Amino acid sequence: MNTYAALEMALLAVASAVVVGVYAVAVADRLVEQLVAGDRVRVAATLAAPARRVALLLSQSRTTTERPDAAGWALAPALLAGLAVFALAFVPLGPGLVVADPETGFVAFSAAIAFVMIAVFLHGWSPNSTLPLVGAYRYGAQALSFQIPFLLAMLATALPAESLSIVRIVEAQEPLWNVVRQPLGLPIYLIVGLAVSFWGPLNLPDGPDLAGGTSVEDAGVARLLWGLARSTMLVAVAAMGAAGFLGGWYGPLLPGPVWVIVKTLVLLAVIVIAGHVFARVRIESFVIAAWVVLIPLALLNIFVSGALLL
Amino acid sequence: MGLTARFGGLAAAEPVPVFAIAGSGMKSAVQDLRLDPGVRIVDTPRAAAVLLVAGATAAQDAEALARIHDALPHPRATVAWQVAEPFGRAGGSSSVVVDGEDPVPALRAVLRALLVGHRPSEPSILPDVDVTDWRGVGPYGQGGSGMTGGTPYGRPMAELAPDRDGLRLDILPVTIGPFFPRLPVGLVLDVQLAGDVVTEVLVTTSRAVGTGDGSGSPFIRALSGPVSIAELELARARDHLRWLADALIAQGLPAYGRRALRLAHDVREGDGGRVRAAAARIRRSGVFRWSLPRSGRLDRAAFSGLGLGPIARAIGLAEDVRIEDAAYRALGFAPYLIDDGGPPGWWHARMEEAARSLDLAAEAGDRKTTVVGRVESPRGRLGSDDSPTARALTLLPEILTGLEWGDAIATLVALDLDMDEMSAVGGAGMARVSA
Repeated sequence: MNTYAALEMALLAVASAVVVGVYAVAVADRLVEQLVAGDRVRVAATLAAPARRVALLLSQSRTTTERPDAAGWALAPALLAGLAVFALAFVPLGPGLVVADPETGFVAFSAAIAFVMIAVFLHGWSPNSTLPLVGAYRYGAQALSFQIPFLLAMLATALPAESLSIVRIVEAQEPLWNVVRQPLGLPIYLIVGLAVSFWGPLNLPDGPDLAGGTSVEDAGVARLLWGLARSTMLVAVAAMGAAGFLGGWYGPLLPGPVWVIVKTLVLLAVIVIAGHVFARVRIESFVIAAWVVLIPLALLNIFVSGALLL
Repeated sequence: MGLTARFGGLAAAEPVPVFAIAGSGMKSAVQDLRLDPGVRIVDTPRAAAVLLVAGATAAQDAEALARIHDALPHPRATVAWQVAEPFGRAGGSSSVVVDGEDPVPALRAVLRALLVGHRPSEPSILPDVDVTDWRGVGPYGQGGSGMTGGTPYGRPMAELAPDRDGLRLDILPVTIGPFFPRLPVGLVLDVQLAGDVVTEVLVTTSRAVGTGDGSGSPFIRALSGPVSIAELELARARDHLRWLADALIAQGLPAYGRRALRLAHDVREGDGGRVRAAAARIRRSGVFRWSLPRSGRLDRAAFSGLGLGPIARAIGLAEDVRIEDAAYRALGFAPYLIDDGGPPGWWHARMEEAARSLDLAAEAGDRKTTVVGRVESPRGRLGSDDSPTARALTLLPEILTGLEWGDAIATLVALDLDMDEMSAVGGAGMARVSA
């Protein structure tokens, strides 16, 4: 197989990961909501729901506000989705089955996460409307607080690999997955991952107290694109969690790529369930928890991991 | 079948996204739509396809209502439920008027007709012009002097003012209501925000006192004559559970909210245990730990004598009309008192009182109330010219000032303001409250 064919396959894999992942998030979200609410579960309707929702949003016109920053408004979902796809490109499906495996894969992934703040702020700023603006500023506070624990939790996984390459980080987990080796890592990563993808209890920029926050003014296609971009970011966070903590492609019987998909779906399920059974976190509580609890825990995680390797 | 029709048919199978406005007396009916799989109540008109106007809204809110209508994306339609056409239109572009108990078939039919092209989208009601003329003052035409001067297009710019930490930061005047989804219809808050902290509040309401019809409520009937205690306590528990459903949605738990709403329908006398089981599940969501603000500004003296029901009893004030009632005393009734002010205590008090009311209803037999002229409503002491909501509104500026936006909304929701109850009785009411 020549280089181009391999690259095409890998790109195809990322594209299908996005489509399958986003559909899985939409279906799981509705399913979990019905179960938690005690509704009658309607399986066929739930499976068809994403297509129906897409068709409805495509049938609706875009709307505008008084003097928006139109370019920024259009760019925000593209930026968020672009960052998510960029981040996914570093997640290996199997040995050698990855779009990009630079020595600095971890740094590139972290850079993508850091830029999420720009996308969300732009999305709240550009409609020139109050509630989106409040949501945008709130995400600023949220993002400043989650960057460091997110980086520290991920950084610990690079210690046993002695490399910042994501493929090396997975390979280092062949004898023992990081979820066992660094028990604090995955919980911190998941909590902060909820904050990165502003989902469930940490959906503060788009929360119910702001009637939808940064997406209050989105209609039709704009609403669809923002929703797709958010779900794609969630898939990226879950996929990287599977690679960084759950041993990536390692697992018995099934082929490697299937294990990556299964582990990603498991993490997605955990995140979606958390979204329906945990109450919204006050921004002040989150900021305090991030600086006072999560950062020290993440540091402890790194020190212990490092000491064990000596 | 054409492609458009097929596509429209696929889209029309989706639950109808509805922005609902619960006018006079329609709060519970609109809330019940959340249990119908055929509709989805959304928080912003931009996410809706159909505007549902249920019951009458105040004349002074007409322009705000029209602005909500014009914010819906095309194709859009209005359904007027138990009220006449709200925008005074006639002919092809007027609303679908529904008088019956269930608007869902009409909502679904309207969405389908819109999507397959059988019904034209409603044109805007307000002209698409700037709120005020461009003033063009200043070197950049920004409407005033300096970078942040003036009010371009009638929009006040952020200005500098000292914040709580003594820094000079931007403040922004914002109007919330009269149709903000977390607040009762008709309540308007003009707030000054410094960042996302509320620094000033002006409360107004378009709901006049003494105009509503509360004859369906046993609490209103209890003002003029004896009412069965069992009926009263069952209604109280259901009212608390309906409040809980909305409050859970505001804290990001819509699935638990639907569960609470269904419980409000299902509970019978003696079902206190079911309510306590639900409360235990809600406690595990972390809502008390990290979701509700401990708004510490409220001391006992501020509430003393206001008769604010569960809110008063949550900070240990034994204010309850039921204590004065011989029939309740014969049942061994004692108010549930705790010492936990602020929204967490209010939540806790209401959930426990709902459970106790159900148990009390089971023991009440055919006893009737003996006190006439005042009654303990789910929100507190209700008189023929005095409602707990009107009294609670006067406290809002003091309660809300200094809170972050999310905390302010959580606190407002936890207060359980009921404009229908307020307008069903007479009294001085309130025009403007500010701080």
